[in-house]
Amino acid sequence: MKLTHLVVAASLFGSTALVANSAAADVKVGLLGGISGPIAAMAPPMIDAAKLAFAQVNEQGGVLGGQKIVTVVGDSACNPQNGVDAASKLVNVEQVTALVGPHCSGPVIAVANSVAAPAGVALITPSGTSPEITGLDDKGTVYRTVPSDDYQGRALARTLVAQGTKNVAVAYLNNDYGSGLAGAFKAEFETQGGKISGYAAHEEGKASYRTNLAELSRGGADTLVIFDYGDGSGLTILRQALENGFFTNFVGGDGMKSDAPIKELGAENLTTFVASSPMGEASSSLDSFNKAFTAAGGSADAIFVANSYDAAFVLALAIEKAGGDKAKVPAAISAVSDGKGEAVAAGEWKKAVELIKAGKEIDYKGAAGDLNFDANGDVPGAYGLFSIDGESFKLQTPMN
Amino acid sequence: MTLLELMNFYVIPGLVLGSIYAVGAVGITLVFGILRFAHLAHGDLATFGAFAALAVVTASGISPWAALPIAMALCALIAIGIDKVFYDYLTDRPKIITVMASLGIALMLRAVIQVIWGVDTETYSRGLVRPENYWGLRLRDREIFTMLAMFAIVGVLWVFLQKTKWGKAMRAMSDNPDLALLSGVDNRRTTMLTWAIVGALCAASGFFLGLNTELKALMGWTMLLPMFAAAILGGVGRVEGAVLGGLVVGVAEELSVLVLPSEYKAAMAFVILLLILLVRPTGLLKGKLL
Amino acid sequence: MEIPGILIYAMSMAIFMGIYAILALGLNIQWGFTGLFNAGIAGFFAVGAYTSALVTSALSANHLGGLDLPVPVGWAAAMLVAGLVAWPIGKICLRFRSDYLAIATIGVAEIIRLVIKSEGWLTGGARGVTKIPRPLASDNYALSELSYLALVVIVLFCIYLLVEKQLKAPWGRMMRGIRDNELAANAMGKNIERRRLEAFIFGAAIMGLGGAMLAHYYRSITPEAIDPMIATFLVWIMLILGGSGNNRGAILGVVVVWTIWSMSEFVTDQLPEEYAIKAKYMRVFIIGLMLQLVLRFRPEGILPEADQKSAQRRK
Repeated sequence: MKLTHLVVAASLFGSTALVANSAAADVKVGLLGGISGPIAAMAPPMIDAAKLAFAQVNEQGGVLGGQKIVTVVGDSACNPQNGVDAASKLVNVEQVTALVGPHCSGPVIAVANSVAAPAGVALITPSGTSPEITGLDDKGTVYRTVPSDDYQGRALARTLVAQGTKNVAVAYLNNDYGSGLAGAFKAEFETQGGKISGYAAHEEGKASYRTNLAELSRGGADTLVIFDYGDGSGLTILRQALENGFFTNFVGGDGMKSDAPIKELGAENLTTFVASSPMGEASSSLDSFNKAFTAAGGSADAIFVANSYDAAFVLALAIEKAGGDKAKVPAAISAVSDGKGEAVAAGEWKKAVELIKAGKEIDYKGAAGDLNFDANGDVPGAYGLFSIDGESFKLQTPMN
Repeated sequence: MTLLELMNFYVIPGLVLGSIYAVGAVGITLVFGILRFAHLAHGDLATFGAFAALAVVTASGISPWAALPIAMALCALIAIGIDKVFYDYLTDRPKIITVMASLGIALMLRAVIQVIWGVDTETYSRGLVRPENYWGLRLRDREIFTMLAMFAIVGVLWVFLQKTKWGKAMRAMSDNPDLALLSGVDNRRTTMLTWAIVGALCAASGFFLGLNTELKALMGWTMLLPMFAAAILGGVGRVEGAVLGGLVVGVAEELSVLVLPSEYKAAMAFVILLLILLVRPTGLLKGKLL
Repeated sequence: MEIPGILIYAMSMAIFMGIYAILALGLNIQWGFTGLFNAGIAGFFAVGAYTSALVTSALSANHLGGLDLPVPVGWAAAMLVAGLVAWPIGKICLRFRSDYLAIATIGVAEIIRLVIKSEGWLTGGARGVTKIPRPLASDNYALSELSYLALVVIVLFCIYLLVEKQLKAPWGRMMRGIRDNELAANAMGKNIERRRLEAFIFGAAIMGLGGAMLAHYYRSITPEAIDPMIATFLVWIMLILGGSGNNRGAILGVVVVWTIWSMSEFVTDQLPEEYAIKAKYMRVFIIGLMLQLVLRFRPEGILPEADQKSAQRRK
């Protein structure tokens, strides 16, 4: 057919040059993120964090006996159409060994189904939180370093009840992230005997949420739980709730643990604000990531950056373990962080390589949790409740 | 719920939101009325104006309100430039071509904003502003100023359109461009003037939005559809209609929370629009049929 | 046998183009031949995608449906339901002219999108519907892409023939007559409102099929896929650039626009590593600029409507 000819000719023309000039000795990894589109503000720090992990690997001797990891960035624009197109380019044209991303759940599911699983290429998403990702028929190629919404929502509910908060209102963003967390939180909070006196979804990008807040506060709760992004409508909600005095205490999920509220509202106004966030057993991992990322000019409090770093680092370990064989990378990912073997913390690349060379099992303990992938490629995750101290978030209490 | 609560938490936020919509809708309705196409780059031009004002504020440290005229002037120039480079040569083509061109402009403007100012969420001034109490009515300075500035801008525009020679030329062109040309109206210069006004209005609406919430790279694009709804609701080509439409949409969105689940708030602008169009097919105030 | 990756990429692009070509043909019936300014493509796209998804996927606690029926039944259902949804919308909205119709249909599409996002019991809400079967799928990546491509091309070809046949028939001539001179057509005793409604429903049904085919390709449908930019405005750009009123032009427009859209990423990837993220914003700029250039040099579209006289009469 004429149409197909044209497409084939055009794509050959467009891409041969690119394949030709890539050095043969490098390992290519695709970083797929929602760079343009609704989460544009979140994507760049996440990409930077993943790049930091690969930079550390390259500095400490590289993979597979001295090869460098080269990243190719793709833009999923947070929709399946662009996501699959970008993934197809990365996997088929750039011939990447594996993908970190996409960031949003919709593209994760579409890319897993129509690119990653059929091509047998590993995919680790740092921020796709939809419960649907768990049950995908993905031939073991799909992993995530962020726990499913279910765990965090439940842990947060238990912690709040244990701290004596019995009556809350919940405002959540109407997408997979917000509704997933809110649903899990509500179920657990009510089981624990708490009362949800307001529960409402909102659309992103509106200029005013004051009526939403007024409705929520009519139930009489003085604590507002926000499941949203701290540099998006979550910030608007937090600001308008504070300015109008609708609530006195504020609790956020990991999406609210962002530097934007501190930067825009001021730490002095956020004394009653806490946010939950995944954290690992080995808190040294988180510390070393925070230090390295800050030194590289990033903000360690940006959303999902630690998860992105973990996704990239665990992928590098898997590539090393699989000996660079693309088909073996998916299985190697769960092997390098399954809770068995010698612990490897964030940034400890040299140590890990020596262990792998010696044929020992390793267990990566990440900055945003110990990972320990289960059979579905999910991580259970442990959480802490963070409050603002000075100009950044500090751990207040661990949650369980 | 007391009347004061209704005013404070539902009606006043609605009016503030409505004022922001209104400033944007007036620009859209001017393009509709005089140049006869749906300008899809309106939201992104508004974002550009908001960020331009931010750049002035951060560079010179002056009050955001002083930065507003500068941003308005800059956006006026940019709007004229866009028209000269991209829209002008499509004038005699079917209008749908210009609509598509404006969609391309929207993408280009967004890219420019993201390259220059990045994608982080920004504000004009850090911190919180708690409202003052005026006999039970809780208002912030910036909210009062937003509403007053909206009326001032629209008032000046209305007087300009009614009383001045150029304003009359614009109205003549809106009624019938061929006839206007015959009666000595310089269509080219009138178009330029229209773009200057539209650009300035874009900057103002973006600024008000940024002032009352935050500045984000996509903020204009997400406001585009409700602004269009407001412009059409008021009647195409009618400045006072756009103001009315903006206020109605703003208040209706905020009040909708009382009767509908809040996730449907964004649908409210369109529900109202469809209902009004069924009763009055040319909008609240009689708009023109294009 | 090892299939070169570039060929697989070309196939995935061609599948995408084929599906969007179906959407563009649907829009061409409404705008190109009838003059209906439908800016709510995303709505019918979504209805088709979700209908087929619910009809063909296995039973799930997260959403309605789960009838587990064969895929062709799902596609037929997608066309049927999209047409059925279009009927009352057309009844109400087609009395508005031009830009009023555009904003009304945008509004309807936004309402459909919000309903899909919020009514979890029906559509899975924000989680969407996953585990949609893909016809002719196999364990071989290249082979599954190729067979789905063949399927898309066959369906596109059938739709193309169907639309061309309709337009060459008296029905099509009458539609163009109504579009170009409503008064004259009315005077000749044609039932304009009814003809318009027919065209609206016909176009919407085809858009529904396009949505269904995309959902089966991705084996999933989530609300992110029905964003107005990617599901409505993109189709409009494709049709107008290709040449509205000309079916081959519409298909060519899809090929050109998607080639620009997808391949611009290779161009901006040539920038140095430290600009990798800014490069993606530049890419959006390049897409916008390329649109301007095509409009500048081919303002009537790449393949304009064959009957130039009638095209020029349109305002």
